[in-house]
Amino acid sequence: MSGAVEYFQYVLAPQMLIGLVLGIAVILVALGLTIIFGLLDVINMSHGEFYALGAFIAVALGTIGLPFWLLLIFVPLVMLPIGYIVERGLIQRVFHTSERHVTTLLLTFGLGLVLEDTFGLVFGPNPYKPDIPIAGGVEAFGIFLPSYRLFLIVIGGAIIAAVAFMVYRTRLGAMVRAAAYDRHMAASLGVPVQHVYAGAFAFGVALAGLAGVLLAPIYSVFPTMGRDFILIAFTVVIVGGMGSIAGVVVAGLVLTQVQAIVSLYISPVWSDPIVFGIMVAMLMVRPQGLFGRLGHG
Amino acid sequence: MTYYRTTMIAALLSATAISGAYAADPIKIGVVTPLSGTYAGIGQQVKWGLELATKEVNAAGGIMGRQVELTFEDEEANPSVAVQKADKLFQVGKVDFLTGTVNSGSTLAVGQVAERAGKLIATTVSFADSITGDKCSPNVYRVNARAGQQSAALAVWLSKERPKAQVFYLGPDYEMGRSTVAAFKSSAEKVGASSTGEIFAPLDSKDYTQYFGQLRAAKPQVLYTSVAGNDTVRLFTQLQEFGLLNNLTVVGASGTVTAQNIGAIGKAAEGFVTGVGYSAEIDTPENKKFVAAFRAANKADPDLYGADSYGMIYAYKAAVEKAKSTDTDKVRAAFADLKWSTPQGEKTLRAGDHQAVQTMYVVRVTGGKFKIVSQVKGEDAIGPDTCKRH
Repeated sequence: MSGAVEYFQYVLAPQMLIGLVLGIAVILVALGLTIIFGLLDVINMSHGEFYALGAFIAVALGTIGLPFWLLLIFVPLVMLPIGYIVERGLIQRVFHTSERHVTTLLLTFGLGLVLEDTFGLVFGPNPYKPDIPIAGGVEAFGIFLPSYRLFLIVIGGAIIAAVAFMVYRTRLGAMVRAAAYDRHMAASLGVPVQHVYAGAFAFGVALAGLAGVLLAPIYSVFPTMGRDFILIAFTVVIVGGMGSIAGVVVAGLVLTQVQAIVSLYISPVWSDPIVFGIMVAMLMVRPQGLFGRLGHG
Repeated sequence: MTYYRTTMIAALLSATAISGAYAADPIKIGVVTPLSGTYAGIGQQVKWGLELATKEVNAAGGIMGRQVELTFEDEEANPSVAVQKADKLFQVGKVDFLTGTVNSGSTLAVGQVAERAGKLIATTVSFADSITGDKCSPNVYRVNARAGQQSAALAVWLSKERPKAQVFYLGPDYEMGRSTVAAFKSSAEKVGASSTGEIFAPLDSKDYTQYFGQLRAAKPQVLYTSVAGNDTVRLFTQLQEFGLLNNLTVVGASGTVTAQNIGAIGKAAEGFVTGVGYSAEIDTPENKKFVAAFRAANKADPDLYGADSYGMIYAYKAAVEKAKSTDTDKVRAAFADLKWSTPQGEKTLRAGDHQAVQTMYVVRVTGGKFKIVSQVKGEDAIGPDTCKRH
């Protein structure tokens, strides 16, 4: 019996805690993706590169001396106008065709490639590693967790709660949900739909940028970093229900726990096939995902 | 019309080829190396090393009175591109010799092209043991140290520093990762180390912390790893974050910590130990002269790729002068057990498997730079000749 307790304390619990940190990271990236999908019906293939853009802006501003805590506020603020311009300047132009799923997917995919190569040209191929803003660690019940990872869990949870509150409990959120549910009706009732769209896209990429700042000290910064989270983030969005915020949170936590626990028992290379297998099964059995779309219930 | 034009050009080309080499004709060396892409940094060192040696040889009168001429082709670190470019250099460029391939796949593929063309090639970079092992070729030479020599040198050092060490292995899950771990494991176990577990993580893993539970439970004294590039940055900094670097000796493959990622790894790289065939720190007059010349020419320090490429030109020079010809069979005979001098001392090209035997160095990261901590004699690190195509 004490063997089982010890196993839980020294092997399973730390592993689940590490999985929780990864889950928060994945949710932060997937949140913006699901908002953009739920509202604009656009699959943003360049989302990973916006995550990288946030990290690179943080590195650039960090080298001229801006402290990390300021970057947490400053980088999303810089990302907002960038996202707004991208939506109005690029996505809107191909959005109103009958082929809009294909055109917006190809457009954002191309944008992602351009951004990735631009990072390489501007910053070079070698990685950057910002210092961990909070050193040291916390030990409780024999479980060790670096302080910064604990901070990530706390601030990540706060960001997720704030986003959910904004979307579900504020007037702004109601406008967004109304535009997602029926844009013509929303427009006729005086909702500035064009600006809501651009604003939601900007908000989504600002969240990706914020994730970039938060995760840079752990995962380092380099041009192809956008690819790291994008597959798992898409999986989370699909399993959770495209456009659902609750879905992203639940699927993000469950899938990363599956990965963390599975990698204890079988070769870690299997953790990705298992997660993607869950996605495929989900698409076959319940294509709408765990939860419904944004604005649809 | 175009057909006739191409045949005319082909006829003209073959006519010049048949007219034969005058004594004053240059000796042509083709260089197929990655000048763009992921390995561009390595290709740059190869180019610098070859150009410096060629300049020196030409200034001293060339090889048998003939100047040496280098022709570069970008292989983009892609074996299929390398094959095309090598074919072009042999057939159209009429090069006498070819070098420069970086990734082991390119070296193996270009080796087959060389066999068909009846020419010789040498790699100055590729590590895979198979190139001078079970996939050896009578037309392929390697003047740099292979993976097996590096891990043997590291294992010899480890057996002195941490006798009977408990070693944990963590490699990237693909051919290079698995072969480097297997090679070091067998070298280390020969000198008394034992294994407490191994993990192969997917390439480009973002989070290594999920393996730390197994690592901690195994209680190793030594961690061997062969991850590379950004993966090293993440692994090392996450180990540091979780406080696992205390009381743990981290050793690894020579490509694990490099000039490209050491800056990003920062303090977490301190104490990392690996076995290499060259270091700019080697304290001999020959190497100091080479490093000074290399710096003057390129405004950068040479690394092992630059040094081994530089040495390659002198190996070819020595062989051609011994053979008194650039003819393939005569040069091959001259290469057999050829001894020549390089920045890292005298090397020998083993007759059987065409592998260079050389002194190996064990280096440790101290203050953000690699410092030599030990040397291992060439014969102690080389291992048996496993080539079956003699």
